[in-house]
Amino acid sequence: MSSVANVVEVRRRLKASRSDVFAAFADAELVAKWLRPSTQVKLSVLAFEFRVGGAYCFAYDVPAGPRVIVRGTYRVIEAATRIVFSWVIDPPDEHAGIESEVTVTFTSAGDATELMIRHAKFDRADAEARHAEGWRGALELLNGLLQNAELHR
Amino acid sequence: MHSEAALDRTFHALSNRTRRSVVHALAGGEAHSAGELGRHFRAAQPTISKHLKVLEDAKLIERTVEGRVHRFRLRQKPLQDAGAWVARHQAFWTGAVDQLETLLEKGSP
Repeated sequence: MSSVANVVEVRRRLKASRSDVFAAFADAELVAKWLRPSTQVKLSVLAFEFRVGGAYCFAYDVPAGPRVIVRGTYRVIEAATRIVFSWVIDPPDEHAGIESEVTVTFTSAGDATELMIRHAKFDRADAEARHAEGWRGALELLNGLLQNAELHR
Repeated sequence: MHSEAALDRTFHALSNRTRRSVVHALAGGEAHSAGELGRHFRAAQPTISKHLKVLEDAKLIERTVEGRVHRFRLRQKPLQDAGAWVARHQAFWTGAVDQLETLLEKGSP
């Protein structure tokens, strides 16, 4: 067994300014040129509202395979510093409906930019506890989960 | 075919450091008792028992009872399913950043 982490992290030092790297995320035409797993995959940007609360929708096509559609909304946009957006794949993909969140940070390193992309499963229970009642909510939630676990056994 | 609810359970179970450590401790494939796992993590037994229940509910571990001794063994399937999601997105972003690098080398956007 290799890893049990539920977080994907990619770091790269890029020979470009923070604003140039940020621009590659902020412009639909630029995004279409690179935001895909390989050159074999064609990306069509179906929606792109680069503002907090705005939605995006990307369609990925491979020569022989089903189209994969990814969509989400921008949660945080801080120019040349940080972008956070949700990420969910449409059915009938095997990973459809799994809510996750991508955090991109841009840090200056001399003339270069340290890019960090962190993609984590979005735990709705955790988020609700954080937003609503903090620790008390989390504990109640935990107790509830444990009781449910017993009920369903 | 993955079930979204099953993956949710898996990821929730793995969102806790102690539970991840338990999974690591069981990764060798051998069964361990709750007592052994408790000593390993220097945690109170009721705490370990709760974590084990969460892991069991997520079907990440299975329990066998021999008299008073509860033994736990890792189940591979949910980890493999969760691992497939992680591997896919790791490959996606690594590939994407490769292409971003190429795009930036061609000249400023």
